[in-house]
Amino acid sequence: MSNESEKLLIVNNLATTFSTAGGPLPAVSGVSFEMLRNETIGIVGESGSGKTVLSRTIMGLQPRTNVVVTGSVLLNGNEMVGASEDFKRGLWGTEVAMVFQDPMTSLNPVMRIGKQIDESLRVRLGMSKVDAKARAIELLELVGIPSPAHRYSAYPGQLSGGMRQRVVIAIALACSPKLLMADEPTTGLDVTIQAQILNLLDELKERLHMSVVLVTHDLGVVATRTSRIIVMYAGRIVEIGDTRDVFHHHRMPYTRALLESSPKVSNASHTRLTTIPGRPPNLLKLSDGCSFAPRCSYATDRCHNERPELQPADEPAHSFACWNPLPTTRGASA
Amino acid sequence: MLRYVTRRILMLIGIIFIISIGSFYLIHLLPGNITVVIEGPGASPANQAKLFKLLGLNKPIYVQYFVWIKNVLSGNLGTSFISQTSVVSTIRAAFPIDLEIMVLSQVLAFAAAIPLAMRSARKPDGPLDRVLSAGSFTLLSVPPFVIIVLMVLYFAIKLAIPNIGPSSYVSFSQDWITNLESLSLPAITLAIGSFVLYFRVLRSDLIATLQEEFITMARSKGISQRRIMWRHAFRPSSVALLGAAGINIGGLLAGGFVVQYLLSIPGLGYTLISAINQSDYLLVQGIVLVVAVGVVLINFTFDFIINLVDPRISRE
Amino acid sequence: MSNAFSMESAGELALTEEILHIEKPEKREPLGIFFWICVGWIALNIIGAIFANVLPLQNPLYQDYGAINTAPSLHHIFGTDDIGRDIFARVVYGSRISITVGAGAMLIGFGLGAPLGMLAAYRRGRFDLILSTIMYIFLAFPAIIATIAVLSFWTPRTLLKIIVVIGLASVPLVYRVIRTATLSVATKDYIIAAKVQGATDRRILLKELLPNIAPIGISFLLIGIATVVVLEGSLAFLGLSVNPPTPSWGNMINEARTVLAQNPWLVIFPSLAMCLFLLSLNFIGDRLRNHFDVTEVKL
Repeated sequence: MSNESEKLLIVNNLATTFSTAGGPLPAVSGVSFEMLRNETIGIVGESGSGKTVLSRTIMGLQPRTNVVVTGSVLLNGNEMVGASEDFKRGLWGTEVAMVFQDPMTSLNPVMRIGKQIDESLRVRLGMSKVDAKARAIELLELVGIPSPAHRYSAYPGQLSGGMRQRVVIAIALACSPKLLMADEPTTGLDVTIQAQILNLLDELKERLHMSVVLVTHDLGVVATRTSRIIVMYAGRIVEIGDTRDVFHHHRMPYTRALLESSPKVSNASHTRLTTIPGRPPNLLKLSDGCSFAPRCSYATDRCHNERPELQPADEPAHSFACWNPLPTTRGASA
Repeated sequence: MLRYVTRRILMLIGIIFIISIGSFYLIHLLPGNITVVIEGPGASPANQAKLFKLLGLNKPIYVQYFVWIKNVLSGNLGTSFISQTSVVSTIRAAFPIDLEIMVLSQVLAFAAAIPLAMRSARKPDGPLDRVLSAGSFTLLSVPPFVIIVLMVLYFAIKLAIPNIGPSSYVSFSQDWITNLESLSLPAITLAIGSFVLYFRVLRSDLIATLQEEFITMARSKGISQRRIMWRHAFRPSSVALLGAAGINIGGLLAGGFVVQYLLSIPGLGYTLISAINQSDYLLVQGIVLVVAVGVVLINFTFDFIINLVDPRISRE
Repeated sequence: MSNAFSMESAGELALTEEILHIEKPEKREPLGIFFWICVGWIALNIIGAIFANVLPLQNPLYQDYGAINTAPSLHHIFGTDDIGRDIFARVVYGSRISITVGAGAMLIGFGLGAPLGMLAAYRRGRFDLILSTIMYIFLAFPAIIATIAVLSFWTPRTLLKIIVVIGLASVPLVYRVIRTATLSVATKDYIIAAKVQGATDRRILLKELLPNIAPIGISFLLIGIATVVVLEGSLAFLGLSVNPPTPSWGNMINEARTVLAQNPWLVIFPSLAMCLFLLSLNFIGDRLRNHFDVTEVKL
């Protein structure tokens, strides 16, 4: 579909397994996908679907102990799996950076925010103290913090949640990364602030020519901002495709369940949202079959005993993993 | 912050007030005729009358307290009837020695505890951590007076290293090298106790801090492990360390008694024990007052430093 | 918020944390063999202290001028001191003082501090505020200075006075530990439920709170006894505890310091006895605390 140099990220058969007291815990398994430059991809799934672990593994930011990563992650030509911490450190910040989930815990509470931005500039880019400060104030302005020179010396505790998340974004942008991993960047924020932050990310992506991986549980968030969507369940990709296809021509019952449980503006008020029955599976006790089978109304014996692999759908670059896919809705309106 | 400081200062005044009452009342624990007990049976009636007047013993006890506290505040803690020198000047001569031992021991303790705790916390339950944790736990059960006796036994007697054993103290101004040598065993003894405490407190807090999200965040910036440890993990983890240090340094003034006593180093501790053995009660009272107030002031100072280190505390 | 079911962030975060922080053991830490060795050692010490005069020991006060400063031998397994007394007998007898002072002082400390701490945490309000402020003030200066001060004036020194002074000095510390422990339990739902159902205060305190804070209390009691033993040892070392010739570990070490060069055994054995006793107490206390997973209460 495009030549190799346009591919920023190639993930191949990636698996992340934690060793726990209860045995090996496969948080991510068999994940493969590719990503182009300047693309925005959405990774969607419930709690415990492995999306946070996946985003950290792609970056090589998994914990240093009690974890085994196999497969391959080629980030701008650099293999991240099995790379030394020193090697990865050279890529973090400049090639790939992360916007963390919860701005309440991801900023150092006893360090002035300006210093937290400065640090990357001085250590990674070798800027002088004065230059770094000037640039940090520019970054604060860029992410929309009012009176940035004044806020430079504030502690995180003196800022609101939305402001803190802007600071987190400023830190991630400090060294102009080519790829930005945004892990639930708005989950900890008020609804009104969520849109502001997402719009800010969109705008910055265009201005700074970045690629963005947007990890979220909220399909509403990815609907208009991504070109492609990956749906995850129990550590595996269960459906992947262009955003339009996933929204309108999804084949995996789980994707539909996710969509039906999200509120839509088009719904009449007081419309009841559908909930997905049951709970996400215990990753320590996965069956041989489809992990969604216990919660799926279409499940057959085969679903319980044999795991479906990803298979192509009608549309290009659209695949799903299901033995009893939903009928294709091609041609009909969704 | 201001409210917090005001509250703490009020508390401090209350504590010092209670210490002063306690120190004042000590004299009244003495059995029998106070002036005779203090000055000894051979005291002249004139001296007895002088002390009687100084203590205001014919007046009600609360008046006696005011007489006493007025004297204390004007810098008069009485005169030792044994050495005939003023209690204040004796304390002034002895105190710098305690200070020197304390500073030496704390420099040693922190210099060992901080880097070792960082190494331990980097790999909890790793080989180094296991050795250090078990070792520090064992040392926790060795009292300072045992450490100092065993060190004297080994270094001063068995190895016969000069200038470190009992009665080898010389003042800093006289010969600073010999002075440092003579204070080395006391400083190391107190450093061992402090090290154990600091290491354990800092290690467990560092382990907790290193699991925080902001550490992963710092890691994702691509800065070195060393920098993450010192710039990001150390400061938020040092609150409990400072708290422990504040209490410990206060206690060290007292722990110094034991080492000074064994080595005949004329600091406050040795002076106090000698005064007790010679029944020099006014000197004992003076030292107790000064040490207790000193300890409280040290604790207060550390509370204040903790606030500067972690701005979250006074805000809560 | 925007979703009506299980996809809320808290759940995701909890699972992430669960995955990322797997080093934390989830099960109760086993007590281990060393724990039971320590328990056995303490038991042996207590038995030795109680039955010292029944056991086949030599007289700890008998001075055998034919055997002065001898090294360990079959006849005197720990050797003899500078006036020919049997060190082994003196070490065994010496445990009496340490154990008596440790147990006695903690009896006073817990007898006063524990009920007050529980009441303060249970009642809260002004009672708690006033009591806690007073205790905080007394906590501010080290017990060793207070005990030295009082014991140097309150002469003559007897075992009872020493126990009372150290015991009273420990009250604020016990108070604080028990109060913190009770607070963490008293706000739990089942206590509130018991209150709502009209259970009497007495019943809640004794039947609901006490069993829950007992593990913390016992663990702190052991560590407290160890601390008191060190304090008494320091006093004895300074010559401020019970007077010789009654042996105690502390005063044996104090006496030994004048003959260090001639007779190192005289300091090594009582030191060893004391350190092993302390190590056992500390280890048992620490293990119990981990076992009952009460580490959030700072001891």
